[in-house]
Amino acid sequence: MLKYHPDTRFLTDYAAGSLPESQALCVAAHLHYCHSCRKHISELMELGAELFMTQAPDSVNADSFDKLMEKLDAPQPEAQPGTLHTNQVQSTPVEHEALPRAIRKITGGDIEKLGWRNLGKTFRYSTIQTGDSQRESSLLEIKAGGEIPKHHHGGDEITVVLKGSFSDQEDRYHVGDYIVRTSGETHTPVASQDEDCLCLATLDAPIVMNNWFYRLVTPFLNKPTSSG
Amino acid sequence: MNDSIVAWSECLEKIASKGDREAFRLLFNKFSPLIKSFAIRLSSGTKSENLAEELVQETMLKVWQKAGSFNSEKANASTWIFTIARNTRIDLLRKKARHQNNRIANDHSEEGFDVEDIWVEDENEDVFNQMAKQRSIKSLHETLQELPEEQSFILKKVYLEDKSHSEIAQELDLPLGTVKSRVRLALNKLRLTVDRF
Repeated sequence: MLKYHPDTRFLTDYAAGSLPESQALCVAAHLHYCHSCRKHISELMELGAELFMTQAPDSVNADSFDKLMEKLDAPQPEAQPGTLHTNQVQSTPVEHEALPRAIRKITGGDIEKLGWRNLGKTFRYSTIQTGDSQRESSLLEIKAGGEIPKHHHGGDEITVVLKGSFSDQEDRYHVGDYIVRTSGETHTPVASQDEDCLCLATLDAPIVMNNWFYRLVTPFLNKPTSSG
Repeated sequence: MNDSIVAWSECLEKIASKGDREAFRLLFNKFSPLIKSFAIRLSSGTKSENLAEELVQETMLKVWQKAGSFNSEKANASTWIFTIARNTRIDLLRKKARHQNNRIANDHSEEGFDVEDIWVEDENEDVFNQMAKQRSIKSLHETLQELPEEQSFILKKVYLEDKSHSEIAQELDLPLGTVKSRVRLALNKLRLTVDRF
């Protein structure tokens, strides 16, 4: 049962488009699973539109419309109205099995194709490229019953459960849960016994060496492996 | 704007069904000055005329291209266009940032997301029918006028200036918690709070 949601700050910044890409990736993953937050986002977009409509207009260049008309007249597919349907692929209702759109894009349907780094026998991670240089996003996988070695957060971390579930000292987290851990907290996540747990995590990493992954991984000198 | 909601929807439908350029011109005349204003605010301090014109062009081109996916039963025209303007703005800023970071041109390792992979233009919401939507917009419109200045000021920064809560806190020299609580108070007054249970 999905229980942990992004707070107002994350949701409004996401709706407004100012949330850094790596954090927005986490919010988008949560939205994929959470009907009530999707509904809230569409209300926040209406608020945005309302503010947008009440701005003082600013006159555009005199030739702006004509320039646009030239583009429409260009012999390209883009000139056809209604040819671009952003969502035609995933307009179906959310299925729990399906991963969020952005995650599907990077995994291409098979997470084994990603470059994974193993850390012990029960934990591996794969870094995700985003346009955000301040933070680091990764997919984490904990094998059923396995754990992530006890670690300490140097920065704030957002975790979203994509498959399975895990627990720490405080609670048990399920698919879609959006969990924020602030700097300084220590915890030991353990996956449930019956299923591997896949998570998306974004960590504030202003200094790379302070990133707990990096500190943990360095001694092992693992090369990226693909176990597929 | 309330009396025009239906009219803008009709424009979009005419564009989708028969490529109606007069309808498109009407939309352009109404929305492009707003899109430009939206762009100017976001990059205040930098020379932004080109960026603003680019945002107008790109957004309106997408409005033309995507008109077929507009569904007046699921969205208001203004919200739909605002969403496209927001995503186009994110896209332009990302391109600009990439350019400034001087990424190596042949860096093929860059997989990257499209804006719409993350900011999904979500029309799969079954939220309200058109009538209910118009009512809620109307009360939103009225309640916005009644917000205390410090709350509407911050809402405008959030939505129109592309500033996150943290950036606003820094700019105004306020604790992050104060910015958060002003936004929350405003959302409470606007009755835009989440009903979880």
